[in-house]
Amino acid sequence: MYNLDLDRVVGEIRKNKAKKVLIQLPDGLKPRAETIVDYVEKHTKSRVFLWLGSCYGGCDIPNTGLLKFDLIIQFGHNKFVKEEL
Amino acid sequence: MTKTIFIDARYTGEISLNEDITEFIKETKIKSIALFASVQFLNLKKVESQLVELGIKVNITKAKRAAEKIQILGCDVYGNSFKDKIIEKSDLILYIGDGEFHAKALLISQIYSGNVKDVIVYNPVSGKMKVMGIQDVEVIINKLRSNLRKFVNSSKVGIIVSTKPGQSYLELAEKLKKQLEKQGKKIFVFVDDNINLSCLEDFNFIEVWVNSACPRIGFDDLTSTNSVVVNVKEAFEPLVYLEKLEKLKV
Repeated sequence: MYNLDLDRVVGEIRKNKAKKVLIQLPDGLKPRAETIVDYVEKHTKSRVFLWLGSCYGGCDIPNTGLLKFDLIIQFGHNKFVKEEL
Repeated sequence: MTKTIFIDARYTGEISLNEDITEFIKETKIKSIALFASVQFLNLKKVESQLVELGIKVNITKAKRAAEKIQILGCDVYGNSFKDKIIEKSDLILYIGDGEFHAKALLISQIYSGNVKDVIVYNPVSGKMKVMGIQDVEVIINKLRSNLRKFVNSSKVGIIVSTKPGQSYLELAEKLKKQLEKQGKKIFVFVDDNINLSCLEDFNFIEVWVNSACPRIGFDDLTSTNSVVVNVKEAFEPLVYLEKLEKLKV
């Protein structure tokens, strides 16, 4: 019903040569996590991790500096333009 | 910062208005509609042509923080969130999506304008429609009015800053701190990642909290906490916003 665009996901991982990838999903797509991880692990050599917490929008990117991920893939939203208040 | 890619997960079905909603729109005899949708439902050519066939002028805009026209974000809760004032120019608002969170943003974005127009919420997945209006945000408006009054009269204030890059406004918080200190208030600045309002109660010496993270905290969450919270935007000029709320037709 919703296009997860998994071929694009794999393409981005390859293009960025990402070895450690963090997947972030809004609540409605969290039940699809298994499908996404299985597909990515089958088609790339990257190690895939899942963000457990919130995913309210493009403004809500996890602050994961210490864990040194190469790529974060957030589903369900698009680019967020931060407003200067 | 780690590179981030967005997969917007578009709805794969055709999006069109069913008979229930076209009949409803005909009965309202409206002439214009402000059209909004969440990102999954932006393929709206068919909907736009259906509305034109009904003789409706379709007004669209781009929310300043969104990537695409028509798209609305949950944080678009102020009248100036949009490039054009299409809500003021339109008879009604039509929101296409599979929930009510964004539709509620469209209601909240009008509360300082003196008049809240109804939002027709159409879910193209279930085919169901519903009309949301000021009654759906009335409890928020009442709590907000009370909180703003308490804020004006407070002496110890906590300003909350998020570490989420998209919601982080530390400089703004420090600017507000200076302004409020000039008014004789004592200010403390708190930092957190995911703002959990139950954590506020531990700092029981704080009378009022100012939220500088997601603006929905200063609206939707007001009714689920005993703490007094206002958003940073209102905190800079609380009396201006209070006056606007007083003029709101309820």
